[in-house]
Amino acid sequence: MKQIKLNYILIALAFATMLASCRKDKTNPTPETPVAERAGIYVLNQGSFQDDNSTLTYYDYTTKTLIPDIFSVANTVPLGDTGNDLGIYGSKMYIVVNNSNVIFITGKKTAKIIKQIALHQPRSLVFYKSNAFVTSYDGTVSVIDTTSLTIIKTITVGHNPEQMAISNGKLYVANSGGFDPTPATTVSVVDLATLTETKKVTVISNPISVITDAYDNIYVLSLGNYADIHAGLTIIDAKTDVVKPSPTVSLAYNIPIYSQGDFVYYPTADKKIAVYNAKTQTLASANFITDGTDIATPSAISGDPQTGEIFVGTAPSFTTNGSVVAFDKAGRKEYAIATGITPGKIVLLNK
Amino acid sequence: MKKIIPYNFKYSTQWRGYFTVLILFIFTNHIFAQSDTTKKLNEVKVKSATMPSPQAIVPSQTITANDFIKYNAFNVADAIRDFSGVIIKDYGGIGGLKTISVRGLGANHTAVLYDGVQINDAENGQVDLSKLNLNNVQQITLYNAQPPDILQTARAFASASVLSIETLKPNLSAEKPYLITAGVNTGSFGLFNPYLQLQQRLNNNWAVVINGYTQNANGSYKYLVDDGLNVTTQKRTGSEVAIQQIDGALIWNDVNNKLNIHINYYNSDRGVPGAVVSHTVPATGQKIYNRDLFLQGGYKHTWVNGLQLLINSKFSQNQLFYFDPHFPSSTGVLDQHFSQREYYQSAALAYHIKPNWSVSYSTDFALNNLNANLVNFRYPTRITLLNVLATSLILGDWTLQGSLLNANIDETVKTGTTTPNHNIYAPTLRATVKPFVDKNFQLRGFYKYVYRVPTFNDQYYNFISNLSLKPEFARQYDLGMSYNKSLTGFLSYLTLTADAYYNYVTNKLVFIPSLYNGYTQNAGKVDIKGIDVGVKTMANLSSAYKLNLSVNYSYQQALYVDATQPDYLNRLPYIPLHTVAVNAGISKGKIGVYYNQVITSSRYYQDNSDPSYLTPAYGVSDASVVYKTLAGDNQFIISGGVNNLFNKSYEVVRSYPMPGRSYRISFQIII
Repeated sequence: MKQIKLNYILIALAFATMLASCRKDKTNPTPETPVAERAGIYVLNQGSFQDDNSTLTYYDYTTKTLIPDIFSVANTVPLGDTGNDLGIYGSKMYIVVNNSNVIFITGKKTAKIIKQIALHQPRSLVFYKSNAFVTSYDGTVSVIDTTSLTIIKTITVGHNPEQMAISNGKLYVANSGGFDPTPATTVSVVDLATLTETKKVTVISNPISVITDAYDNIYVLSLGNYADIHAGLTIIDAKTDVVKPSPTVSLAYNIPIYSQGDFVYYPTADKKIAVYNAKTQTLASANFITDGTDIATPSAISGDPQTGEIFVGTAPSFTTNGSVVAFDKAGRKEYAIATGITPGKIVLLNK
Repeated sequence: MKKIIPYNFKYSTQWRGYFTVLILFIFTNHIFAQSDTTKKLNEVKVKSATMPSPQAIVPSQTITANDFIKYNAFNVADAIRDFSGVIIKDYGGIGGLKTISVRGLGANHTAVLYDGVQINDAENGQVDLSKLNLNNVQQITLYNAQPPDILQTARAFASASVLSIETLKPNLSAEKPYLITAGVNTGSFGLFNPYLQLQQRLNNNWAVVINGYTQNANGSYKYLVDDGLNVTTQKRTGSEVAIQQIDGALIWNDVNNKLNIHINYYNSDRGVPGAVVSHTVPATGQKIYNRDLFLQGGYKHTWVNGLQLLINSKFSQNQLFYFDPHFPSSTGVLDQHFSQREYYQSAALAYHIKPNWSVSYSTDFALNNLNANLVNFRYPTRITLLNVLATSLILGDWTLQGSLLNANIDETVKTGTTTPNHNIYAPTLRATVKPFVDKNFQLRGFYKYVYRVPTFNDQYYNFISNLSLKPEFARQYDLGMSYNKSLTGFLSYLTLTADAYYNYVTNKLVFIPSLYNGYTQNAGKVDIKGIDVGVKTMANLSSAYKLNLSVNYSYQQALYVDATQPDYLNRLPYIPLHTVAVNAGISKGKIGVYYNQVITSSRYYQDNSDPSYLTPAYGVSDASVVYKTLAGDNQFIISGGVNNLFNKSYEVVRSYPMPGRSYRISFQIII
């Protein structure tokens, strides 16, 4: 009798799954006209910490299909716990899965695993001249040769490094020190010719997000210490590695930053996407979004330099599925893609 | 990964002055008490067929010491897991955190009473039931709303439900003024748990009871991992426990006075293995150390005119150290210390105005504080004043009860801003009626409005303290029936209970994670509709063979119903729609064989009812055998049990696999 009951439950469950799958299909967006060379868009969803439910959503512009988790479809195995960064380089895709202590290297179109590299608490990823650079909370940057797909060098930087940016032949690494009672306050400068740290630049406490522009500037968003030091922006001149006069900004506690063309985009405490002019070093607009679209809790910002579109990942409550909202260059909503929990990285895939 | 809270290495200065306080307490506090011995003694008919007595004015479920073996129970969480409407959230293993959720409300809504006095945790608001060993427990009762007696501490009125744990009370005579119980539990997980109880009669009215045990286990167990390609067997490690507990009780019992004084010390070192996530080995080496001491006393006096006085006092100090040897900070370790204290005083008076009409007044004072070695910690102190007026009226077939609770909560902090004062009025109304000629049938119903205040953790633990948090409120509505018949013939008794309920929660306190930190908010409303059904009987299969059977079913539909929230109309995580618990046993004289089955339907582990966030349904079976015999004046009890008989792989909490099949053997001698 108990067995039967259980079976009923399972059957009901199967139906529920089918129904829900159908429902999901209906939420598919119909993007207007992406540039011809764009095949689709990847969204890396962090999932919930320790729930082992990070997913990789893929939306195909040609077939107009949404695959909620292309990684588990392609590989059978789950992506793991808290996928934190993703990048495409050459024919391959690199996925950094923080709490699963792993970097997956997959085919960029198939998402099928080519190799997996174990690395303790990996965080973020950048590429430079046939190398991939991955920060680890252990206080290092690992250098992965993109041909042999092995770690060829480990560079020691500051505590709990987060994001990186490359400018002027140098790698800038945000040392957050976020696990210490007093967070760190530096950005490490690594000479990419010698792969050694040459300098530490002092920034606002607990630096996290780093981006560069076309004018040799490095933008660093810091969380502050949650007490007397507030979250803020530090701009470093990559020619001299000196901090430039930086504007006072009002940041929320989720601080993605993105640079495209002459502009740098970041979310503010009042749930707007501010635009900073990199060329004139002045605030260009208090809110990029012009049609009143509510983006709730922005967890990622990206864009398409060719069309000027901006994509904003939103993580409502961080425990429910999110979405990526695409805006045209005038800041009007074009479409939205349903994602998993906390979309943290948005990357375009070319044909 | 979300970053964890910063900390520093400032060692707690708690112990300075600690002994002074303790001694002062012993010598200055003369008023101790025993809550409701009379009532309990009536209920403990442990020797023969125990007919449960579910005809209280509120739904209640009881398990007595003799029944623990039927459920192959090792701790309080095991013993109550069959109860209707109860969900035990279990992180797995012998030292894994186990908390109770009743009727879809969070663990903070259930008060756990130990001999009538609440085990309060101002830091987390939840009691880890795995810390409560069954050695010294005589009876556990779960009351929805509040216990039926109107002579209670005010705190007993201040929760959505009450889990009341009663310790063993001596029953000694001048001929044999002592009783010694010694035993040992051993088996899987490398468990070795010897215990000793000494009951000593001092004179006609006074007795002492001393209980002690140690519990050591490596805690290791096997579990299955399905990574989508292969199913492999893994071993859970880093879950070792070393626990010692000692409880001393002084008991005074005469016609008009009942007194008990407990001193209790609990010391445990537990390994806390990390979440099991894909592609990596779970973290090991994290430890939780508990050093808990409490001193509690209860005194009840009954005057000839029927006036009753109940005094309860408690001092407790709970220290918790959390240590992570692999923490990515500059020191490489995380070493957090928390120390909380409670000073608690309660007084209650009840008076029978007429034989069928009584009134009571209860007042409680509690002072709670918390120290922690966290950066920018605010060192909060909370003063809680509770006042309750209650009345009970019997009119023919009707019993009516009403109570009104006033709660006043005032908080101060050493540094920074304080939270606003909370002043809450919370009423409860209850009624039963026996509408038919057959007085075995009873209808019952209650309405209760209750709150739960933000815990110190909700307010102060995180990077971003949220000092504007409001209490969470729950309105509970219940309508049910019970049928309770004592029989002669094939069935010894039959009890049926069924309740439908509706709970509506506002200002729900939820932890909102985020990219780099998280904080607690009053986010949303919750709607819980449920049904609890229970059947219990005993059949005389022949003159020698007796069959015990109990079946409980629970339906719970818990939904977020705040349209402004992203979780609108999604189901609450970890609350299954269906739970079935069946317990059956056959006994013949000295031998009993028992089987327990719990079936739980699938649950979402996120606030998002997306099928990909389901944890599968499971059915878990346990079996046990007990043999009791007398040799001379000594009683011997030997029992053996198997948990998870069919070695099912399942999870209660996502990423925390539960143990496969495990065994336990117990031997007990009573001298």
